[in-house]
Amino acid sequence: MNSTPLLGIIVFLPLMGALGALVYRQNERACRLFALTVMLTDLVLVLSLFALNTSPQLAGNWLRVEDFSWMDSLGIRFTLALDGISLLLILLTTALGALAVLVSWREITDHVAAFHFFLLAMLTGILGVFLATDLFLFYLFWEIQAIPMFFLIGIWGHERRIYATVKFALFTISGSLVMLLALLSLHIIHARQTGETTFALLQLMHTSFSLPLELTLFGAFALAFAIKIPLIPLHTWLPDAHTEAPTAGSVILAGLLLKTGVYALLRFAFPLFPAAAQFFSPLLLVLGLTGMFYAGWIALAQEDLKRLVAYSSISHIGLIVVGLSVWNVTALSGSMIQMINHGITTSAMFILIGMLDERLHTRKLSELGGLWKIIPVWSGFFLFFTLASLGLPGLNNFVGEILILVGTFTDRPWAAVAGFIGLLWTVLYGLRMLRKSLWGNADPRPDIADLTNRELTILIPLCIGVLWLGLHPGPALEIIGTALAGLNSGKGLLTLAP
Amino acid sequence: MTVLSWPKDILAVLFQLLLAGGGITVFAVGAFVKNKPKSLLFSLAIGSVLSAAVAALLIDGGRMPFFQMLDVGVYARFFNVLFALVAFFSLLFSHQHAGLRQVAGDEFYGLMILAVLGMSLVAGATHWLIFFLGFELLSLAFYILIAMRRDDLPGNEAALKYLIMGMVSGGFLAFGIAMFYASTGTLDMPIGLADLKKVVSPTGMLLSLGLILSATGFKISLVPFHLWTPDVYQGAPTPVTALLTTGSKIAVFAGLLRILMLSSNWLWAHATPVLWTLAAATLLTGSITALAQTRIKRLLAYSSVAQMGYAVMGVLATREDGGLAVMFYFTAYALMDMGAFGAISTLCASPESDLDELENYRGLGYSHPWQAALLTICLLSLAGLPPTAGFIGKFMVFKAVLQAQYIVLAVIGIASAILSIFVYLKVIVVMFMRSQKDMAVTSGFGVEARLAFALILFGVIWAGVFPSPLQALISRIITSISI
Repeated sequence: MNSTPLLGIIVFLPLMGALGALVYRQNERACRLFALTVMLTDLVLVLSLFALNTSPQLAGNWLRVEDFSWMDSLGIRFTLALDGISLLLILLTTALGALAVLVSWREITDHVAAFHFFLLAMLTGILGVFLATDLFLFYLFWEIQAIPMFFLIGIWGHERRIYATVKFALFTISGSLVMLLALLSLHIIHARQTGETTFALLQLMHTSFSLPLELTLFGAFALAFAIKIPLIPLHTWLPDAHTEAPTAGSVILAGLLLKTGVYALLRFAFPLFPAAAQFFSPLLLVLGLTGMFYAGWIALAQEDLKRLVAYSSISHIGLIVVGLSVWNVTALSGSMIQMINHGITTSAMFILIGMLDERLHTRKLSELGGLWKIIPVWSGFFLFFTLASLGLPGLNNFVGEILILVGTFTDRPWAAVAGFIGLLWTVLYGLRMLRKSLWGNADPRPDIADLTNRELTILIPLCIGVLWLGLHPGPALEIIGTALAGLNSGKGLLTLAP
Repeated sequence: MTVLSWPKDILAVLFQLLLAGGGITVFAVGAFVKNKPKSLLFSLAIGSVLSAAVAALLIDGGRMPFFQMLDVGVYARFFNVLFALVAFFSLLFSHQHAGLRQVAGDEFYGLMILAVLGMSLVAGATHWLIFFLGFELLSLAFYILIAMRRDDLPGNEAALKYLIMGMVSGGFLAFGIAMFYASTGTLDMPIGLADLKKVVSPTGMLLSLGLILSATGFKISLVPFHLWTPDVYQGAPTPVTALLTTGSKIAVFAGLLRILMLSSNWLWAHATPVLWTLAAATLLTGSITALAQTRIKRLLAYSSVAQMGYAVMGVLATREDGGLAVMFYFTAYALMDMGAFGAISTLCASPESDLDELENYRGLGYSHPWQAALLTICLLSLAGLPPTAGFIGKFMVFKAVLQAQYIVLAVIGIASAILSIFVYLKVIVVMFMRSQKDMAVTSGFGVEARLAFALILFGVIWAGVFPSPLQALISRIITSISI
């Protein structure tokens, strides 16, 4: 429907870059620069989408739809569609993608070309997940994003990387295979009812089911998504994966991969199976809240900084799921903006911990302490992002949290109260982490230097993001709001209460 | 008695004639030509396989079977091209491998060609005699090919195992065919299978098909007829294993598929529960047993057992989709299993022995990136992960099975797929994520193997990203099928 397939280019540019990176096998620096250039170009392309149009003209509040014939005999088309939510998420993806290249500049020294190949290929998968509206295409991208991560953790990870990466792959691929079965069933049921063979989301929404069938199919989809999110009790792969992953892997994992689960729940599972979604929403709510408390509790006991942040990440995402399960405009806007916020702050935390690890070769809280005196600039950033993630007013996470809680309060007040208490947990473990790392007795470590210019270049954009979304979230919320208005199921269920 | 008409009938079976001629020429050259140039036999073999492929591509033998015995229509031609293709790849992988192992004689190349001839007879037979002839020719060629290294003990053991199993299954087949004749009075497949009025004894008919199914079950290693598979795959020269696991299995499957498609609804109703059970058992046994393997050829052997389970799933759905899924699956399977075994065949622990222990694959991704890359992509494809041919194949099989309402079987299939993901990841982990072992891995990675690598890689990815042309081709074949 559009003359230039801009979305297609945005999705596949990283993949082209991935193949290009392999050409620079001999020259590491050229390879890094090339990968960075590709990701920055992609970022510029995404920004140009903002310039093109931010007010939707198409039905369903889509900003842009690109549709190509692909495997027509099977009813599969290459359809990418952009709405406000996707727009913000692909902006986050390309930005974090560029940062991931920068972050690895010093950390990754082995097999540099292969590293960038997998990194960029994974970004294509993630971008595709955020844009695809043909269910087959979505599934394809969903699987493709997992495979490079398997290699990233397994090759460039830390000591227990193989255990962690096999666990990661088994969890995610098992989930998606179950989803494949449900996806095919949905396709077949729809074909029986209407006679059209299609995988297009908008058509498949007009399928009717008996309740048990709908619950089963929703369950299968939600299982795959819940593993990625990850919801308690399917979360056990995440701390391992985070702890063992290289920094860039953690950034992509926390910042983007987990978001694909939430996004898919919102984009596919809820609109396709609204009755089942309503049926299961109390369960999601309880799982989200349990996640907040349980992961927060575990985070309190963590010694390894990366593991601590990983658990905090589960706890934060629990709140996002709470917002999703309530399904009103306020809570959903909160959840969506919180996805972006969480992407920024958690990535920043992992980046900072990676920088510390490069200097001290330890991430254990018991071996840290007094860092404020040794590396003040790093410590300042660490304090700033921790406070942001604790939800300090004026910084980004506060906006999302307050919206989710307000939205939840209108429908399920007790859940909002519980969520609020859950947020106090985050303060507890956050402050414990700060106290043990920044303050306390400093071991004499004369040889470590503070942040370099490259590292500042990585962190300052993230700071700007935190401040911008914290102080002036209006534009982003507006984009999300318009998109949410278009996000209705074909059956008129799940209409959004304002 | 109809008379052979020139040139129509000769052209119709040109594929088979070229292979038979090629095989005999290789033998003759090997026996009578002194001081041959080094690659003469190899070139002759490649030439006959490729020319046969071209013949199968270009010449349509028409809808009627050749003398009511051999299908020369689109269905058979599709498989003939596939057989020629896998034989071509297998020969490319063989050249250096066989040279290193000192088995590159006329019998090696000649028998490979004759094996392909056997495959095409099994896949094309519309008469039980031709089916039996092809089945035995195929087996006979492989008995020798597997035992090619005469001083290699595991090779001999493998060949003996395959020989005994082959004899037994040949006996089953012969007895089944006799029963078939006894209960229908004809050896013609379409008449005997489709025409219920011909059946004198329903019990005899079912018994006959049971025996034939067991005989074919041996060849395609369905559980519980699979026990020979790991030993034979491990003992045989790797390019032979590659041909055995792709070509011979697909051939027997193509024959089985034809039998089932010809069958009356009465027979079909009796066959489905049996096939269902075989599929479930094969899927689960294959993938569970593969978990425990520490040698790569055994691991791939069990995984190929599981792969056959998916194929049976696709066969069960033929009444829904006409065989589209299973035929696509075979094409994908031919490419990916050939690629996996082919990659292994280019690696040797020493000039005489294969690189077989999984431990020895440590760090292969860095010492031999190309072989490791091909193996990885083929393994990902076998695991059914995108963007590969194997993914589309599995996708179509599961879709067909769900359409045919075999929900439980589909769930079993997914469970098996999850298990086998672990198996394939294990190999990838060893190659890329374990520290390199100080072991000299020599590689026979010549121009021929490189060519095969490039073609297979291209095929696996291309059929995974743009499967439409292949799907359209198979759909056309199904609609114009003449059996």
